[in-house]
Amino acid sequence: MKQTCAAIFGYNEYSKQIIEKIKGLYHNVGVFVLTDEELLIAQNHGVLADKFDLSDHWQTIEERFDVGNLVVFCALNDDAENVFLTISLRATFENLSIIALAKDNESMMKMKSAGANKVMPILQIASNVISDILTKPIVTEVLHNVLYEDSDLSIMEVEVTENSPLCGTYLHDTHFKQEFDVILLAVVDNELGTTFSFASHGHNHHINAGDILVAIGYKEKLEYLKRWIRGEIL
Amino acid sequence: MLSRYVVNIAYFLHTCHPYQRIKIFFYNLLENQHYRYKKYFDYFMMGLILLSVYILIRSVKHELSHDWLIFNNYIISLIFLIEYLLRFWVYNNTSKMVIDQYEHDLFLHREFSFSKVLKAIVKEKFEYVTSPMAIIDILAIMPFFHELRIFRIFILFRVLKFFRYAKSLRRLISILASKKFEIMTLVIFALIMIMVSSVLIYVMEANNPDSPVNTLFDALYWSVVTIFTVGYGDIVPVTHEGRSVAMLIIISGIAVISVATSIVVSAFAEKIDEIKEEKFLDKATKLERFYLVCGYSPLTYEVIRKLHKQRLPIVILEKDPQKIEQARAQGLLVIGYDSASLHTYHLLKVNFEQQVEAVILLHESDVANIYAALTIRELTKSIPLYSILHHPENRRKLSLAGINSIINPHEIIGLMSKIVSTQPVAFEVIHALRSEETSTVVEEIWLDSGMSERFFALLHDSLFYQRFSVLGIYKYATEEFLFNPNPDIKIKAGDVAIVIANRSLVDEFRTKLHRKQKK
Repeated sequence: MKQTCAAIFGYNEYSKQIIEKIKGLYHNVGVFVLTDEELLIAQNHGVLADKFDLSDHWQTIEERFDVGNLVVFCALNDDAENVFLTISLRATFENLSIIALAKDNESMMKMKSAGANKVMPILQIASNVISDILTKPIVTEVLHNVLYEDSDLSIMEVEVTENSPLCGTYLHDTHFKQEFDVILLAVVDNELGTTFSFASHGHNHHINAGDILVAIGYKEKLEYLKRWIRGEIL
Repeated sequence: MLSRYVVNIAYFLHTCHPYQRIKIFFYNLLENQHYRYKKYFDYFMMGLILLSVYILIRSVKHELSHDWLIFNNYIISLIFLIEYLLRFWVYNNTSKMVIDQYEHDLFLHREFSFSKVLKAIVKEKFEYVTSPMAIIDILAIMPFFHELRIFRIFILFRVLKFFRYAKSLRRLISILASKKFEIMTLVIFALIMIMVSSVLIYVMEANNPDSPVNTLFDALYWSVVTIFTVGYGDIVPVTHEGRSVAMLIIISGIAVISVATSIVVSAFAEKIDEIKEEKFLDKATKLERFYLVCGYSPLTYEVIRKLHKQRLPIVILEKDPQKIEQARAQGLLVIGYDSASLHTYHLLKVNFEQQVEAVILLHESDVANIYAALTIRELTKSIPLYSILHHPENRRKLSLAGINSIINPHEIIGLMSKIVSTQPVAFEVIHALRSEETSTVVEEIWLDSGMSERFFALLHDSLFYQRFSVLGIYKYATEEFLFNPNPDIKIKAGDVAIVIANRSLVDEFRTKLHRKQKK
C-alpha cells in the first residue's frame, strides 16, 4: 500500500461501510458530501464531513492531502454524478488513485472510461456473492476469511526486488509449499503489463524484478516469505 | 336394526385403511389433475375412444371380424362401465355422511335418522348422475347393447368423452362457461328467430305450388341454414313475402354470428392471463428440484444468470405484473403469485424438502423479504433461506425471521474497498478465480473416508504435479479448515478439498479419484 490518506466522496450506506473498514489503514481520512442533507446526516453520525461541488476547484483536496499519497473513493448516490466526479478528478490529478462505485456493469464501463483505476459494480458483486454462497459455500467462506476477516490465514502480494533471490530464477525452482508453507496463487509479469498468470497453470514463469507474486498462507509465514523475496533475509 | 347395521358398516369403511387407500387411489386416477399417473390413464382411455370410432367407420363398408365386434361392444363398453361406476363411487364420501349424521343425532340425543342421510346420499349421487359429463359417460356405454342398431350411433358419444381426458378441451369448456349468460341469451335469441322465421316462411310459402317449402320441417331447415349464413340454396323462397322474411333473417343471422364470435373472443381475451398463469404453474409443479427465488429485480436477473451454470431450474415468485412481464421477456419461469401467501405454495404444491434446493429472497424491501421468510418458515423449518439485506439495521429482524444467510451488499463493498485499496493485485487474482473468467478455477471436491492415500498420491501424478494446488481441506466434523494439508491427515466422509487448477484438470482429478476408489 503506497497511499497514506483517503478521501471518500458521498455519505450513504456504502460510504459508511468504506469509512468503517478503511479508517484504521490511513493516517488521514476525509469525507466530502454534495448536499446539506448529507452533511447533517454525517454530523449526526459523528463524522466530520466537508461540502464540495462538482466544479473543477480542488484546492481543498490539495491543501488537506498529499495528492501523491491519496486514494479517492467515489461513492455518490447517483451514477451520473459519480462519473462526473471521477472525470473531474482525473482531469485535475493525472496520477490519483480512484476507486469508484457503480450500480451495474453498464455504469462501470463509463466510470472506467472516465478514468477510475478500479470500479466496483454493486449489482454484479452482490449477485456474485449470492451465487457463490449457493454453489460453492465452503470456497466462499474460506476466501471470505482470507480476504476480509482478521483470521490467521491471509493473502499477500509482494513485488520482486532487484536483490531478491527469486530474481532470474524460474517459478518451479522454488517450492513455496514445502519450503515456506504458503501457496503461490499467481504471478504478475512486469514485462507483460498488468496481466497475470496463475501459478497452477503449469507455465514455468521466468521471474524478473518488478514481477508481483500473490500468495496465501499464515500471516507469519507470509511475512517471512515477503522479507525473503525482498532479499532482506537469506 | 337396519340403521344400526348401516352405521356399523359406515364406521368400518371409514376406519378401514385398505378401503380408504383404494378409494383415494381411484379418486386420484380419475379426478386428481396433479396425480402423476393420471395422464397415462387418460391416454389409455383416449386410445380406446379413437379405436372405437375407427371400428364404427370401418364397419360402414366392411364386414368386421367377430373378435373386433366383441372387443368394441363388450370389452370397451365394459371398461367404460367400470369407469362410470368408479366415478359414481368416488364422487362423495358416503360413509362419512352416515357417520356425521349419526354423531349429530347422538349429540342432540335424537334417534339416528337413516332416511335423512339416505336422502342426502341419493341427492348427491343424483347430482353426479345428472351432470353433463356423467350423461355423456352413460351414453358412451350404450353400444354395449349392440343388438339395438340405433345404439351404434352412441359410439359418437364416446368422442365427447375426450372432454374428460384432454386438459385443453376442459379449459375450453371452462372459458366458455364464464360467458354462460351471454351464450344463453344468444341461443335464446337465435331460437326465437328460427322459430319465428320458420313459421313465417311456412305461412308465406307452403301454399304456393312453385315454392320448395312444403312442410314445416322444410321451413325449419331453411331457417337454420339461412340464419347461420350457410345458405345452401336448395330451398329458396319464391314469393315477395317469403323473400322479405329471408332478408330479415339474413340480417339477424349476421348479428348472431358476429355476437357469437365476439363472445368467444372476449372470453378468451379475459382468460388468457389466467391460462398463461396456469401453464407456468403446471411447469413449475412438474420440476423435480429447483431454486425458488422470491421477487424479481435487476439483482434477481444477475443472480439467475450466474446460477444457470448449475443447470438447476429456477422458479421466480413475483406479484407485480410489470416485473412479471419483464422477467418473462427474459425467458424466465415466473409464477404471478405473492411469495408471502400460503395459498401460493398450496397452488404450487411444492414439497420444500424434496423439490427446493434453496429459497433466495430478493424483494426490493426488507419488509417483503421478512414477510416471505416467515411464510416459508411456517411450511418448512429445514430449507435454507438466503436473503439480501437493504438496510443494515434490519439484519437482526431478518435473522429472527429464520433466514440462514444474509447478504449485505454495503458491508461487502466496505470490505472490498479495504482490499482493493491495499492489495489490488491480490484482489484481482481472487476475483478472477471466483468469477471463472479464466480457465483456472477454484473448486470444491467432496471426499470420502479412506481417500487420503489416493488423494495425495494423485497430487504427485505427472499430470497434476505443479499444475494442481490444494489450498486446504475443510473438515466436515470439526468445521475447521486445514491449510496446505500434509499426507498424514485422515480424510473422512463429507470433508471437502478446495483446489485451484485448470477446470479440465479438476474434472480429470475428480474422475481419477473416484475411479481408483471403485477399484
